[in-house]
Amino acid sequence: MSIDFSYQETWLHKINPSLKLGFVFLLFIHLIMIHNTNILIYYMFGTLILYLFFTGHPWKRLMIIFLPFLLIFLTSSTSMIFFGKGDVTWFKWGLIHITEESFFRGLHLGFRGIIFAIIGVVFALTTRPVYLFYSFMQQLKLKPKYAYSFMAAIRLIPLMIEEMQTLHYALKVRGVQSGKGIRGFYNKLKSYSIPLLSQSIRKAFRIAVAMEAKRFSNSGNRTYYYQINFSKVDLVFVFYLIAVLTLSYYMAVQYPYFPITDVRL
Amino acid sequence: MSTVANVKNMRLKFPGVDSLLFKDFSLSLKKGEKVLILGPSGSGKSTLLQVLTGLIPHAVEVPMKTDEINIPDSWGYLFQDPDSQFCMPFVDEEIAFVLENLQIPKEEMNRYIHHYLHQVGLAFKNPHTKIQTLSGGMKQRLAIASVLALEPEVLFLDEPTAMLDSEGTKQVWDTIKQVGEDKTVVIVEHKIEEVVDFVDRVVLLDEQGVIIADGSKDDVFASYKQVLLEHGIWYPGVWRDYLNSKPPSPSPSPVSINPSVHLSDFSVYRGKSVKLHIPQANAYPGDWVTIIGENGAGKSTLLLAMMNLLKTKGTCHFLGQDYKRIKNFADHVAFVFQNPEFQFVTNSVYEEAAYSLRLDHWTEEQISPRVNQLLKTYHLENHTHIHPYQLSIGQKRRLSVAASIIKEQSIILLDEPTFGQDAKNTFAILEQLEQLRRQGKTIIMVTHDRNIVEYFSTKVWSIHDGKLANDSSTGEYLESNNHVTGEISYVH
Amino acid sequence: MEKGLKLTDILVTIIIALIFGIIYKLWGPLYGVISTLGLHVEQLIYGMWFIAAVVAYLIIRKPGVALLAEVAAAQGEFIFGGEWGVATLIFGLGQGLAAELIFAAFRYQRFDMIVASLAGVASALASLGIDFYYGYIGDLALWNLLILFGTRIAGGILISGIFAHLLVKALEKTGVTNLVRPASQEDYKALG
Ligand SMILES: Nc1ncnc2c1ncn2[C@@H]1O[C@H](COP(=O)(O)OP(=O)(O)OP(=O)(O)O)[C@@H](O)[C@H]1O
Ligand SMILES: Nc1ncnc2c1ncn2[C@@H]1O[C@H](COP(=O)(O)OP(=O)(O)OP(=O)(O)O)[C@@H](O)[C@H]1O
Ligand SMILES: [Mg+2]
Ligand SMILES: [Mg+2]
Repeated sequence: MSIDFSYQETWLHKINPSLKLGFVFLLFIHLIMIHNTNILIYYMFGTLILYLFFTGHPWKRLMIIFLPFLLIFLTSSTSMIFFGKGDVTWFKWGLIHITEESFFRGLHLGFRGIIFAIIGVVFALTTRPVYLFYSFMQQLKLKPKYAYSFMAAIRLIPLMIEEMQTLHYALKVRGVQSGKGIRGFYNKLKSYSIPLLSQSIRKAFRIAVAMEAKRFSNSGNRTYYYQINFSKVDLVFVFYLIAVLTLSYYMAVQYPYFPITDVRL
Repeated sequence: MSTVANVKNMRLKFPGVDSLLFKDFSLSLKKGEKVLILGPSGSGKSTLLQVLTGLIPHAVEVPMKTDEINIPDSWGYLFQDPDSQFCMPFVDEEIAFVLENLQIPKEEMNRYIHHYLHQVGLAFKNPHTKIQTLSGGMKQRLAIASVLALEPEVLFLDEPTAMLDSEGTKQVWDTIKQVGEDKTVVIVEHKIEEVVDFVDRVVLLDEQGVIIADGSKDDVFASYKQVLLEHGIWYPGVWRDYLNSKPPSPSPSPVSINPSVHLSDFSVYRGKSVKLHIPQANAYPGDWVTIIGENGAGKSTLLLAMMNLLKTKGTCHFLGQDYKRIKNFADHVAFVFQNPEFQFVTNSVYEEAAYSLRLDHWTEEQISPRVNQLLKTYHLENHTHIHPYQLSIGQKRRLSVAASIIKEQSIILLDEPTFGQDAKNTFAILEQLEQLRRQGKTIIMVTHDRNIVEYFSTKVWSIHDGKLANDSSTGEYLESNNHVTGEISYVH
Repeated sequence: MEKGLKLTDILVTIIIALIFGIIYKLWGPLYGVISTLGLHVEQLIYGMWFIAAVVAYLIIRKPGVALLAEVAAAQGEFIFGGEWGVATLIFGLGQGLAAELIFAAFRYQRFDMIVASLAGVASALASLGIDFYYGYIGDLALWNLLILFGTRIAGGILISGIFAHLLVKALEKTGVTNLVRPASQEDYKALG
C-alpha cells in the first residue's frame, strides 16, 4: 500500500506495472504446476532477496509485514498435515493422522503460500496505484471509466481515516457515551461503520459527478499526462526471474532438502 | 444575441419528496450575458444549475421532464461544496485530468497547467502539490483554474466564495471578472456586494422555485425591493435597512467578574508542531466574541482545541473548571463545526434536531414542540423527514446550528454559522444567538462577515498566523482598525 | 437511460469494493489465527471474502455490479499486499461470477435475504472449486473435506447472506441508497 508511506524508489518501482503484473501472474500459474518442494524452497530464497533488499522500504516495515506470512505458512499447511490422506503413518491420535505424504504436501502448501505472499507484497510495495492504472489503460486497454474510478476510489481511502476521526469528534461533541462491554462495543461498531460506509458512497458519487462535469467520457481517445512505457529495467526483471527459476531447478536436483520430488503421489 | 441555453416548462421532483421542486419552469440564457440568480436558501438554485448543464439527469438521476431543453456546447461548473469537486490528489494532476479529457497532447500539458494556474493567481514552485495541503482560498482558485481549463463558453458558478476571507473573496472575483469578460457567466451567490457591478441581469426565485423577477440589475434592485425584503434575499444595502428596522439596542456589557471562558498560555498542536498560541483571553457571561482572521490563520483550530479535540498545553477553564475535568462536557458547551456535514449523526432532519434532547431523556411530548418550533425558526419545517445530507448547503448549515444550540448550553462555539445563508436566515440565526446572549450565555463565533463583528459582537479575538493578535471589546477593535481594514464597510 | 453501468455506478461499486478490500486484507491474519484452532473453524469466517459482491449488488441493483465488486475487492486486497498474492484475483473472479449468476437467474429482480444467501452459497462453491486445484483439498480425509465444505458454505450464508443483507438494510436508513438506485416509476408519474 504505497499510498502514504515514504519509501526509496528502486529499480522494481520503475518496471512497467502491467508487465510486472503479467509476470507475477505467469509465476503464479507456473508455481501451481510445481510439485517438488525442493524447487519451492530455493525459489522462495530468490523472491526473498527481492523483498528484503529491493523494495526500498525500511526494515522495520518489512519485518512487520512479514509476520502474517508465518501465519500463512501455518494456515496453508496444518490441515493438510494433520488430516490429509496418506499411507505411511507417522503419528495417529484421535482424528489427527499425520502421514509422510500429508506432511510433505502440507509443507509444500506452506512454502507455496509464502512465495505467493512475498511476490504479491513485493508487487504492492513497489507499484504506485496511479501508475498501475495508467499502465492498464495504455498497455492493456482497460476502459478509462474503470481505471479512473479505481484511482479516485483509492484516493478516497486515506480520507476515510480522517472521516473516522471526524465522526469520533461529532459523537463526542454531541455528548454520546457508548456503553461498556460487548454491547458498548457493538454500538460503537455500528455507530462508526454505517456512517462511514454511507459517507464514502456519497463522496464517491460526488466525485463521479465532478468528473462528468469536467467532461470525462468513455468515448473517443484520450491523451495521458503520464506515459507509462517499457524500459531496460523490464528486461532486468525478466532475466532475474528466469535466473531464479533455472537456479531453483538446478539446485533442487543437485542439493535437495527432501527426497520427495512430487507431493501429489 | 443568440441563446446558449434554455429550458421550457421543466418539472422536477426529488425521489421520495412529495412536492415538485420546479413546476413548469422556463428560463433562457443569451450569449455573453452575466446573470445573477438570487433566491432564498433551498429554492433550487443549485439544482437549476445542474439541470442547465445536463448533470441532471445524465449523471444524477432525478425525475424530470421538459418540453424543450438545450444545454450549452461547452460549459464549466464550479460546485458549491468546495471539497467535492476535485477528481485527482495533486494540483497538476487535477488540471491534467481536464486536459486529458480534451485530448490535449501530453507535450503541451505542462505549458497549459502553468498557464491556468497563473491565470487564477496561483504560484507553485512545483505544481505536483497535494491539494489537501492548500488553504480554503487556494483550493477555490484551483477549482476555478480547472474549470477554466475546459475553455468553456458558459461558466456556472455556485457560490464560489462562501467560505473565503475578504482578501480571498476579492481575489477570486477579480479572477472571475477578468476571465469571464467574454463569456456567458451564470452566478449563484448570497454575498453579492462583490458581484453586483459585474452582472447585468438578475433572476429572482422564490421559495417555491418560481421566477418572480427577471430583468436588468438596476430594474430588479430598484423595483423589487419589497419582494427582496419579503423573501429575505440579500441586496445591496440590506444591512442598512435591517439596522434601521431593528436598531440594535445598546447591549449591556457583561457584569460578571468571573469569566466563563478563560484561556492562558494556551497552545494547540497539530502533530508535533504548535499551530496556535493564545497568551491570554477571557470571555464573560453575556459576551459575544467574534473570532476573525484570514483563511488558514487557525480559527477553526482554536475552536476544536477548546472542544478538547486536539492536543493542547496550557490553561483552558470553562465556568471556572479545567475543561478536561468537566463531566458531561456536552451539557455545558455546544459546538457547530465549520463543515455542517461533520456533525450529523442521525438519519433525518427531525431526529438530528431532537438528538441532544433524547440523550437528555426528554419525553416525546417535551421534545416535539421544542424541535418543531426551532425547525420553523430556521425554515426547515418542510423537510423534517429527509436525510440531513439531502438538504441544500444553506439548509445543512442551519440544521447544524439548530441541532447544536437546542439545549441552550451556557457556552456556545460556532464556526462560521452564517455562510451560504440568505438574508432572512442569517438574521434569524443572529437574532436567536442574540437572545441567548442576553440570557447570559457566552457566544464564541468565527466569522468573515464584518457586519456581524460590528453590529452583534461585544468582543473581538483576532487571530493572525497562529497567534492571538488582539483580545479587546468590539468598540476598541473597530476604533483601532478603522484606518487599516477599511476594505469592507458595506453599510456606509 | 443509458445502457450498462454509468460512471457513478462504477465509482460507487469500486469504493464499496475497496472498503471491503481492506477488510479482506485484515481478514487474512484473523483467518490465520483462528485456523490454529483446527477442524476448519476458520471456514466459518471465510464467507467475508464473498461479501463485496452481495453488498454492492444489493445497494446498486444493476447487472454486472456483483462481478465488478468482487473483482475490484480482490484487486484491492492484492494491491494492499494481501497474503495470497495474485491467487486472490482468481478467487475474486470465480466468486464474483458465481454470485452474479445467481442474481442473473432471478433476472436482477430480487434483493432479499434468500437471494443474498444463495449468492453466498454459490460463491462458496466457486471458491471450493478453485481450491480443488489450488489447495489439493481433494487429498484431505473425506470427513475433513465434508467439514470444510459445510463450514465454508455455512459461513457464506451467515456472512454474505444474512449479515450483508442486514448491513444494506441499515444503509438504506441513511438514505444513501436512493442516490444510486434508479428512481421509481411512481416518481416519474408524479411529474404529471
Ligand atoms: N437528493 C435530494 N433529495 C431530496 N431533496 C433534495 C435533494 N437535493 C435537494 N433537495 C431539496 O431541494 C431543494 C433545493 O435544493 P438546492 O440545493 O437546489 O437549493 P439552493 O437554492 O441551492 O439552496 P442554498 O442556497 O442553500 O444552496 C431543497 O429544499 C433541498 O432540501
Ligand atoms: N488536519 C490538519 N492537520 C494538519 N494541519 C492542519 C489540519 N487542519 C488544518 N491545518 C492547518 O492549520 C492551520 C490553521 O487551519 P484552520 O483550519 O484552523 O484555519 P482557519 O483559520 O479556520 O481558516 P478558514 O478561514 O479557511 O476556515 C492551517 O495552516 C492549516 O493548513
Ligand atoms: Mg445551493
Ligand atoms: Mg476554519
